[in-house]
Amino acid sequence: MYGYIIRRLWQMIPTLLGVILLVFLLFNWVGGDPAYVLAGKISSAEQIENIRRQLGVDQPYYVQLWIFVKQVLTADFGASWSTNEPVSHIMTTRLGPSLTVLIPYLILSTLVAMGLALAVAYVRGSLTDRAVMIVCTVGLSISILVYIIVFQYVFAYKLGWFPVQGWSDSFGQNLVVYGSLPIIILLVVSIAPDLRLFRTFVLDEINHDYVRTARAKGVSENRIMWVHVLRNASIPIITHVMAQVPGLLIGAFLVERFFSIPGIGREVILAVERSDFPVIKAITVYVAVATMVFTLLADLMYKAVDPRVQLK
Amino acid sequence: MSLRASRRKLPGSPRSSRRNASRVMRSALCAATLLALAVCVEVVAADMNKVVRHVFPAAEEGFDPAAAHDLYSGTVEQAIFETLLTYDYLARPSKLVPLAAQSLPEVSDGGRSYTFRVRPGIYFSPDAAFKGKKRELVAEDYAFSLKRLVDPKIRSPWAWLLEGKIIGLDELAAAAKKSGKFDYDARLPGLEVVDRYTLRIRLKQPDYDLSYVLAHEPTSAVAREVVETYADVGGRVMANPVGTGPYRLANWIRSSKIFLEANPEYRGFTWNFKAGSDPEDARIVAEMKGKMMPQVGRVEISIMEEDQSRLLAFQNGELDLMNLEGPLAPMVMNGASLSGEMRKKGVKLSRFVDPELSYHYWNMTDPVVGGLSKEKIALRRAMAMAYDVDEEIRIVRNGQAIEAQYPIPPGVVGNDPAYRSSVKHDATSANALLDRFGYKKGPDGWRTLPDGKPLVLRYASRPDSLGRQQDEMWKKALDSISIRMEVQKDKFTELLKLEKQCRLQMRTASWIADYPDGDNFMQLLYSKNIFQSNNACATIPEYDKLYEQSIRIPAGPERDRLYHEMARIIETYAPWRLGISRYRNMLIQPRVLGYKKHPILHSEWQYIDVDTTGKGG
Repeated sequence: MYGYIIRRLWQMIPTLLGVILLVFLLFNWVGGDPAYVLAGKISSAEQIENIRRQLGVDQPYYVQLWIFVKQVLTADFGASWSTNEPVSHIMTTRLGPSLTVLIPYLILSTLVAMGLALAVAYVRGSLTDRAVMIVCTVGLSISILVYIIVFQYVFAYKLGWFPVQGWSDSFGQNLVVYGSLPIIILLVVSIAPDLRLFRTFVLDEINHDYVRTARAKGVSENRIMWVHVLRNASIPIITHVMAQVPGLLIGAFLVERFFSIPGIGREVILAVERSDFPVIKAITVYVAVATMVFTLLADLMYKAVDPRVQLK
Repeated sequence: MSLRASRRKLPGSPRSSRRNASRVMRSALCAATLLALAVCVEVVAADMNKVVRHVFPAAEEGFDPAAAHDLYSGTVEQAIFETLLTYDYLARPSKLVPLAAQSLPEVSDGGRSYTFRVRPGIYFSPDAAFKGKKRELVAEDYAFSLKRLVDPKIRSPWAWLLEGKIIGLDELAAAAKKSGKFDYDARLPGLEVVDRYTLRIRLKQPDYDLSYVLAHEPTSAVAREVVETYADVGGRVMANPVGTGPYRLANWIRSSKIFLEANPEYRGFTWNFKAGSDPEDARIVAEMKGKMMPQVGRVEISIMEEDQSRLLAFQNGELDLMNLEGPLAPMVMNGASLSGEMRKKGVKLSRFVDPELSYHYWNMTDPVVGGLSKEKIALRRAMAMAYDVDEEIRIVRNGQAIEAQYPIPPGVVGNDPAYRSSVKHDATSANALLDRFGYKKGPDGWRTLPDGKPLVLRYASRPDSLGRQQDEMWKKALDSISIRMEVQKDKFTELLKLEKQCRLQMRTASWIADYPDGDNFMQLLYSKNIFQSNNACATIPEYDKLYEQSIRIPAGPERDRLYHEMARIIETYAPWRLGISRYRNMLIQPRVLGYKKHPILHSEWQYIDVDTTGKGG
């Protein structure tokens, strides 16, 4: 087990180097020169050169790349070019708000989708099953932007059940008051695709011989579905859930912008608008590392869920 | 200081009658002073229950006046820091008045010397940087703060405000570039601290805009101890603003929330502004006259990038003040006034034309559209005539703009509301002009250059919705005169870089007043500002000559005459097509009293009140 983990960690190094190279090339290709924005409305060529020198963007590319590698190794990405805020501070302060919304969402979304998938799969082919699938298909076809705009207008503004936007210093208030509507929207958006996917996983299992055998032995339907089928279907479900966690951090930017949540996704958009390379670099690298770590965690969880799985 | 505390300090029993009388007199005087102080403090103190909730549509950078250069950081800075001068809250056009200075400066030596006297008894808000001592604002603080603007380490985006102006300052900055260290202790002939409260600024040449510069928030006073305590490696103090203004930073969730609270050391003032010609002014004066300011104890600023979120939050009563951006206007406005629903709710509107100018420029160094030859001038004039500004206002700006007739927008000294541009939308005349100067139509229907080479215009714009709308407008205009157009899409940073290097052919740009003087706009076509603010890269000798004359004289009829001539030169040579000036529409909840958006000042929280009785305004 430990050998497996160490081997997987070693394998992350070339992947990370690839990410570093890709981010570096992409930014230098399409990132723009921030010096002209930072220089203000009226600036001379000399001032722009001074800014480029201070930012280090006048250095040869190989020097800039080496600095980037050192930053990744030391986990010190310096300070934001536009605000001078240390990148480490940006990461630590923006992660909390994102996780406040994303963790409850992810737990609820997985549980609800799994429960519904089991129920719908159990009545496969029935009118209920078909109706749910049609609703899911319609739900899938609607952009998250529409959900956000409609839900914010109806539930926050018209009905007044939630504040239109906001964030505070209090975790409880953020979770219950400000985070509720964003969590509900994310849930509604994700339930349809998750339900369809999980239903497929469950249906695959229901058709296996062991289910028929269990039924022949007189095992209750509840036990068959919640213990035997769910355990076997959980491996692809874990893969799916773990794979979407890192991406969610950035992918939730629309919800964060509309509801004024000071999270990572919103920060990424801001950094791109400002050509703030240190912030973009840090977030991209952290998300890449998180993806690799969560993939490893998913593999380890397979073993925990199903002892028959061999980690090699 | 409380009254009880002052009583405890009264002296004990006298030993002799004379001494007694003297002590009694002294005591009475002391008690009276302390009482006055106590009353004053009590009256000045803002009500912490009075909260104003404001919204910014974009994130702030930070609160170092020398370093931050976005509008929203500047808005907060104006509430925390103080400049020597400011603008009268109600006077229109904007009028300079003293702020931290006792009076307007004494200008001598033909506009080369400005003497300011800082008002004694102004204190910075308490901060650990002062080690528990009260810290008074002195002239040296302004000298220090002005030096910071040219410190190469800080790389201030506001260096241009002072560069080339103050005797000795450029040399000090040049020495810092060489040595890597800025000598803040250096005594400069141009920045003389005459005594504790007197600052004399000596200029290399007369500059009648210096007073405006010293009312601009980058020149606010920052205490040296604060910089030495909190500066980052770049010498910037973005997160620890400590000033003498009416508010101080209480809490800050970056890019999300900014909480300000009344500065306990702020001296306060009595609201006593005079109503102008605007009928709204009388109501504001009635609401506010005689009140000790600031009344509002706390200001809560939310950052909301999305239009819908801002508007719904305002309509839901979660915000008190909101700037209505163009795309939102049709949702709550009928032309120039609020919709019936908003009026029913008691929402008020503060509306005026922003001191800004949007213009379309052609690169005067470009081989296709640039130059001063007759056929190039004809080409640019034809394109200028082909463009329909009215249509842009109607379609792109939702009616929330006016056509710019003059290079200086309304509300700025030098603007002439009676002036009418000779450039009108007239595609027929534009076509005739092109025919006359040899821009013939080829077999494909598109015009060619007089030498027969293909004529293709490259219009540069941002890849956003406004950029796309502008592309469409210009495509339609150039189609109407049979000129083929291509769109050059690029990121804002890249466009800015290409523009400053004179590598764009044609683009729409805008300029918002840094200070309300015509010079801030007329310098945009001065040839010495190429690679800086002259983004048309224009060198028009007649214009340059008149501009150089204009900066040597103060604002007045003589300068206005020069500006008129310069405006006609712009129309004749057509480096620009004047575009629009947008309306600013501030929405105000009924509970907010005394609010009127100032065209130059960013923050007005210190001038307003909040009705906490629930009756509304």
